Amino acid sequence: MITSTAPLLDVRDLTVTINREGGLVTALDKVSFFINPSEVLGIVGESGAGKSITGAAIIDLLVPPLKRTGGTITLAGERLDQLSPKAMRSVRGGRIGFVFQDPMTSLNPVITIGQQLCDTIQAHLKLSGSQAKKKALDWLDRVGLPNPDVQFKRYPHQLSGGMRQRVVIALALCADPMLVIADEPTTALDVSVQAHILELLRDLHRESNVSMMLITHDLGVIAKMADRVAVLYAGRVAEISPVGELFNAPKHPYTRGLIRATPMPSATGEMRLDQIPGAMPGLGAVPPGCAFNPRCFKAQSDCRATIPPLYHAESSAFSCFHPLERVTA
Amino acid sequence: MSASDFLILNHVSKVYRRNQSLLERLKKGEAGGTRAVSDVSLTVRHGETMGLVGESGCGKSTLARLVSGLMAPTSGEINFPPNAAGNKPRLQMIFQDPYSSLNGRWTIEDIIAEPIRVHKLRQGRAAIRARVDELLVQVGLSAADAEKYPQEFSGGQRQRICIARALAGEPEFLILDEPTSALDVSVQAQILNLLRDLQKNLHLTSLFITHNLSVVRIMADRIGVMYLGELVEEATSEELFRKPRHPYTRLLIDAAPDMDTSDRSLHPIAGELPNPAFPPSGCRFHTRCPFAQDICRNTVPPQKTTETGGMFRCHFDLDLSNASVFPPPAKVKTA
Repeated sequence: MITSTAPLLDVRDLTVTINREGGLVTALDKVSFFINPSEVLGIVGESGAGKSITGAAIIDLLVPPLKRTGGTITLAGERLDQLSPKAMRSVRGGRIGFVFQDPMTSLNPVITIGQQLCDTIQAHLKLSGSQAKKKALDWLDRVGLPNPDVQFKRYPHQLSGGMRQRVVIALALCADPMLVIADEPTTALDVSVQAHILELLRDLHRESNVSMMLITHDLGVIAKMADRVAVLYAGRVAEISPVGELFNAPKHPYTRGLIRATPMPSATGEMRLDQIPGAMPGLGAVPPGCAFNPRCFKAQSDCRATIPPLYHAESSAFSCFHPLERVTA
Repeated sequence: MSASDFLILNHVSKVYRRNQSLLERLKKGEAGGTRAVSDVSLTVRHGETMGLVGESGCGKSTLARLVSGLMAPTSGEINFPPNAAGNKPRLQMIFQDPYSSLNGRWTIEDIIAEPIRVHKLRQGRAAIRARVDELLVQVGLSAADAEKYPQEFSGGQRQRICIARALAGEPEFLILDEPTSALDVSVQAQILNLLRDLQKNLHLTSLFITHNLSVVRIMADRIGVMYLGELVEEATSEELFRKPRHPYTRLLIDAAPDMDTSDRSLHPIAGELPNPAFPPSGCRFHTRCPFAQDICRNTVPPQKTTETGGMFRCHFDLDLSNASVFPPPAKVKTA
C-alpha cells in the first residue's frame, strides 16, 4: 500500500531518441512529471510534441527506431525502466491499462470481444474460466453495453465506434490496474459519442479510484477531465499546473497561446481567435535555447541561448525565463 | 428568388444505390440504398459564407460533392443563377487532408499554375510565374517556395498551398470541406484567420463544411445543421447559437466540451447515431430527442420558418435558448 503523499507514477528525466542514419535525434528531452494516486493527469500538446511517445515509453512499447535512452520511471516504488521485457509484459494490461485512439485497430478483429476480455483477465488475474467469463460479462455491463450476454459473442466489426471504444476501456480496466494511460481516447469519435465516453471514463475513475494519464490535443477534454495538466512542446515539458490554474492563469506563453488559438466562445458569446505565429519545430530541428523562442512574443536573448529549467512554484512547474504575470485575462 | 441569390438547392436528394441482385432487378422494384442527402433546400446569397455542420454520416460532404458537380443528385435541382455576363460562376474546392490533395511529384509552381493554365487566366510563362508568386505571398508563403515540392512543407503550409491553388482559378465560389480538421490548434487558427481575410478581401461566396461548431461559428454568416442527410435547422450564425430551434442543434452545441473548468459537467446526446441507410421513421432525431412524443415517431416534421428567416424541422416550437430547460436525459445504455 502506498501512502497518499508518494506519487503513484514518478517519471524523471525521461529521454527518448530516434536513431536516424547519421546520428541521434532527441524526440523526448528530459521529461519529468508525477501522477498521484487516483489523480487524472492530462497531457496536452500539438502533434509531434511527444505526448504519445511519453505514454508508449512508460510501458516500453516504443517502436524502433525510437529508443528510451535515459531517465527513470517508478510505479508504486518499482523501477519500470529496469524490468526485464518479460516482467514488463505482466505490467502492461495488468498494473497499467492502456486505451488507444483507434478502437478498431486496438481490438483483434477475428476474436470475439468476450474472448478478448477473458484472455486479458486470465493473463493477469488468477481466475478460472467461468470466473473470468463472469467478470468479463460484468465489465461489459459496467462500460454500458446493452445485453452483455449477446455482446460477449460479437466481433469488433459488429459494433459501432463508440461501442468498440467501450470494449477497449473494459479491456484496459478489467485487470484492476493502478494506472490507465488513455491516448486520445475520443479523438476518432463524433462529438455526441465523445461526451458519452468521457462520462464513462469519469464514472469508472470515480468508482475504482484508478489513476489516469489522459493524453489529448483537445483542451476542452482536458478542462473537463483532468486534475492537473502537463503541457508538452517539442518533446519538453512547458508547464505543469492544476487544471483551473492552467486555464485561468497560465505561466508559459505557449500555454496561453494554445488556449487562445482554440476557437471557443468567451463568456460574452463573442469569438476570439489569436494565432501563434510559425509552427512547432520538427524532430531534430529544435532551435537552441527554449524550443518555443522563435514563436514567443516574450523571447529575449537568454531564451535563445539556454534551455530554461523547470521552475517549481507552489502547485505548478514551468520552464520559462519570463513567465506570464498572474493577471493575464 | 432574388438577385442576390448565388446558389439555390431545391429539394436535392442523393441515394447511393447498392448493387441489386438479379432477382431484384427482374422485379424492377424500388432499389434500396442509402439516402445520404435527403430533400435539402438551401439558398446561398452573394458574398456569404454558408456553414454546414453535422456528425459523420450526416451527408455534409456528399452535399459538397453535389454542389461542386462531382456527382449528380438523384432528384432535385442545384442552380447557380447566371451572373450579369451570363456565365456560371467559377468554383474551387479545398479539401481536408493537405497530405493527399497535393501531387508529390509536382513543384509548388506546377500545382498552383495548373488552374491558371486550364482556365487560360494568364498568357505566357512569365505572367503565370508572376501570378504564382503573387498567390504564394497572398497566402503567407514566399515566392522562393515555388521551386520546392509538397513534402518539404508542414501540414499548415500545405493547406496554404491548397488555398493558393484554389485562388489561382480566380473563383467566385469556394467549397471548403473540413479545411482545418487535420491541423493542430495553433496552425488551425492561422488558416482560419487567413481564410477569413481572403473571404473579406476577395468577396468570395463560400460553403464551409465542418464538424466543429466553434470553427463554423467563427467562419460562417449562416449555418445549416445536418442530421442523417436532412437539413434540420438553418439560421444566421448569431441566431443559431443564441436561440437554437431544433433540439439536435441545442444538444450538439452542449455536447462539445468547452474550456470552463468551474463547470465540469458533460452533456452527451442520449443514444447513438442510427445507421444512415435505415433512418428512423417520422422525425429522424426522435430516437435521441429528449422531447420526443408519439407524433415524432410517426409523422415527418414540417419545415417551419422563423421570423428572422431561419428554418427548422420540428413538430414543436421549443424555447431552447437556455441549456437548463433540458430534462436530464434518461440513462440509455448505448454509445
